[in-house]
Amino acid sequence: MAVPVSQMYTVASYVLSKKLKGIKRYPLVLMLEPLFRCNLACAGCGKIQYPDHVLDKRLTPEQCWAAAEECGAPIVAVPGGEPLIHPEIGRIVEGLVAQKRYLYVCTNAILLERKLKEFKPSQYLTFSVHMDGLKNEHDLAVCRDGVYEVAVKAIKEALRLGHRVTTNTTLFDDANPDRVRQFFDEMMALGVEGMMISPGYSYQKAPDKQHFLKKAKTQELFSKILSRPKGSWKFNQSPLFLDFLMGKKEYQCTPWGNPTYNVFGWQKPCYLLQEGYAKSFRELLETTEWEDYGTSRNEKCAECMVHCGYEPSAVSDTFGTVSGFVRTAKLTMIPTSR
Amino acid sequence: MTDTKVHDSSVSGSPEGRVFRPASEAELAQAVELALDYRGDVTLELTSGELVVGYLFNRQTKGAALSIEFFPEDSPAPRVIPCSTIASIAFTGEDTASGKSWEAWASKKESERRADAQRVEEDARARGLL
Repeated sequence: MAVPVSQMYTVASYVLSKKLKGIKRYPLVLMLEPLFRCNLACAGCGKIQYPDHVLDKRLTPEQCWAAAEECGAPIVAVPGGEPLIHPEIGRIVEGLVAQKRYLYVCTNAILLERKLKEFKPSQYLTFSVHMDGLKNEHDLAVCRDGVYEVAVKAIKEALRLGHRVTTNTTLFDDANPDRVRQFFDEMMALGVEGMMISPGYSYQKAPDKQHFLKKAKTQELFSKILSRPKGSWKFNQSPLFLDFLMGKKEYQCTPWGNPTYNVFGWQKPCYLLQEGYAKSFRELLETTEWEDYGTSRNEKCAECMVHCGYEPSAVSDTFGTVSGFVRTAKLTMIPTSR
Repeated sequence: MTDTKVHDSSVSGSPEGRVFRPASEAELAQAVELALDYRGDVTLELTSGELVVGYLFNRQTKGAALSIEFFPEDSPAPRVIPCSTIASIAFTGEDTASGKSWEAWASKKESERRADAQRVEEDARARGLL
């Protein structure tokens, strides 16, 4: 199993307690962006295009810890920007681990090997390394030669020191399924705990005609990649979300499932859209017009199948329906049964 | 709304270089939405005559007091500005998102990509980020 039992237990008991209390909207993963500055400029990345004075702003460790406390999600993902650039990232991580949050530091790994001494291995801390494919595909995606090799070296060193390491991969429709499958083999051979995959988000201010085609194309791509899975592949995400990517499940988006906090505040309504900011998590929950977002509700959401909206839906299905629970259990125990 | 295009934007669709002088609340709301979506600094001319430059990241469009939230380029703290005091919004800063799509990158010549990549790497190195 790619996710440790203790983490599964924490998430399961958290979700079940919310369901038993009848709480409809609850967060699963806090997306904590301590800064927007990055040392790469990946094409298509919508996270780092700001004026310099905004890129120079950072959340303090205290702001990060308070956001995690206020939100209460059992899992915290720390993307950015590149979080390892933050001069106090060691303190931020230490404080979140002390809160017993399961923490995923999402990094391009350029600085990882150098910074590893700032982190103590923990069951709560995982480095989630951005890898968009084999060497050629990855270096093209991040717009710099040599980054793949740097990341592989850092992954090996992090594993040697006893850290939990996963990979995170964004795939666009032009991905080659055979190459992606080879990439999975290569990552598992490195010894990572598991892999996370998601389609990229794209939204063009254009007529809606091609949206359904695009979604069908995404499902076709993921079906080719994920059907006949190898026994060695482990995914650090909900098996039902992978079903969703393959078109085997239909979900509505859960935009409050992965709330985002950054230097502007609590982002409305989700990790990808920026339609304003709330001062507190409670204000975010209470003032966002949630009914305006999700599949078939909003032009900007029409093509979206991204993990931040649909993985919480898949997790809710696991704990909210018998069929969802049975299928999750089956795919967790026998991943090759897909 | 008076829209003065003071210089050409390199990418069609970007409001970079435009100046909006809203004549009504509805026009002001439209200009504010455009500024919220814009990934560059704007210059606000206030009714007091003050000019403020910065990044508009939020707006309050419901309730009695309509306002925007704004990170001035020369101050660490955000500033709240009542919409009623805004005389014009000029899109004066570079639109940092224009031309940054995956499609735009993929359509570039290899030599252009290499030059872009080198520029980004040199900038990161100069900032001590590598």
